[in-house]
Amino acid sequence: MPTPTRRAVAEDAVLVDRLRSDETGDAMRALYRLYGGELYGFALNSLGDRGTAEEVVQEVFLRAWRHSERYDPERAAVRTWLYQITRHAIIDARRRAAVRPGLPLHEPDADTPGGASLEQAMLGWQVAAALERLTPEHRQMIRMAQFRGLSMREIADHTGLPLGTVKSRTWYALRSLRLVLEEMGVVPT
Amino acid sequence: MSCADVREELGGYVLGALEPEEREAVATHLAACPACAAEHARLAGLPALLQQAEGIEIPDAPPAIAERVLDRVAHDRKPPRRGRAGMLGRLTPRRGAGRARRRWGFGLTRGRAAIAAAVAGAALGAGVTALALDRDTAPPAGQYALRLTGATGASARAELQPGRDGTELHLWVKGLPPGDGAVYEVRCERPGWSASAGTFRADARGRAYVVLTTAARKGEYERIRVVRRSEPRDDDVMSAQIQ
Repeated sequence: MPTPTRRAVAEDAVLVDRLRSDETGDAMRALYRLYGGELYGFALNSLGDRGTAEEVVQEVFLRAWRHSERYDPERAAVRTWLYQITRHAIIDARRRAAVRPGLPLHEPDADTPGGASLEQAMLGWQVAAALERLTPEHRQMIRMAQFRGLSMREIADHTGLPLGTVKSRTWYALRSLRLVLEEMGVVPT
Repeated sequence: MSCADVREELGGYVLGALEPEEREAVATHLAACPACAAEHARLAGLPALLQQAEGIEIPDAPPAIAERVLDRVAHDRKPPRRGRAGMLGRLTPRRGAGRARRRWGFGLTRGRAAIAAAVAGAALGAGVTALALDRDTAPPAGQYALRLTGATGASARAELQPGRDGTELHLWVKGLPPGDGAVYEVRCERPGWSASAGTFRADARGRAYVVLTTAARKGEYERIRVVRRSEPRDDDVMSAQIQ
């Protein structure tokens, strides 16, 4: 799978541009297919309640529709824009929960022992999304080395690949990841 | 060690996955080679970023949300006209002659007529109480939108797409008891006859969006009914009449 291109980023911006004029709903569905899963995961992880997370995601896409003309592709990638909307919606949901104590939401960051901040969580989900956009082979190298702590030699043993292949594949995997993160606006170009 | 050799090692180096002697050789080269050092610098921050993503599995997007958003969008675009029918509610033509409102996403085209039926339906466990159809709209042809309303808050919107071998049914439900895992069945019925269109469960907020199919063809059923599956008998939740 090729790494995502600038064209893909531009296509996402076109979807946002079409949101209000597209009466078929296809632009909204396409945008939701692209980002619904990760934004739901981010909201669920931050709020700890499925129903509230679904409401937040619904609100995010509704706000995206209402304010789509404010989106400026020169300033941020669509993903970054949607994450910012989600972050605000999560904060709003937490505020609502604060005045309705029955809602079983996670406590705000500052009170969560060892909990990651919303910004950190947002970063984590975007990096996870970037990983998903790599080829399975590249993703495998990064996961085995970074998350499982295996050495290049151990990965070669585990996968049966030549050591040189594992090394070069890992290098290309990181380069691809860097490019994806740049396109997503997570790291500067 | 050449630059080409070092580049090949750089991924493992950045991720701390080289053997000690390999790591040392790369470090020595980087200290003396600005080009390789620059390449290393581009990748060196990635492990810290990856750490943030550890353990994160991106879930599937809940399927109902996009449709709910589109419902809200449709509402925002053109607020529904005020009701005229008291407890029966307003019968809103989804698409009729002249004042067609574009339906979201199910391929309604300008030439195909649809009707909406607003039905004051049943509360959980009760029978259907009333129904009415909008006579102002074009005769039913091709596609139908029905509104099923329960007196205690459970309500649904259904779109029926009759085909040669049966009917495809899109159903948006809200207001069901949340989180109890109950199984609901959608049935196409006429007196003395019933065909199941399938079953569904509500989500944590008591909502569902499902696409179901039934072998029941247009004309073979008169009513769409949602029942809660339970023993010894199933309970009516809501229904709508087809004409």
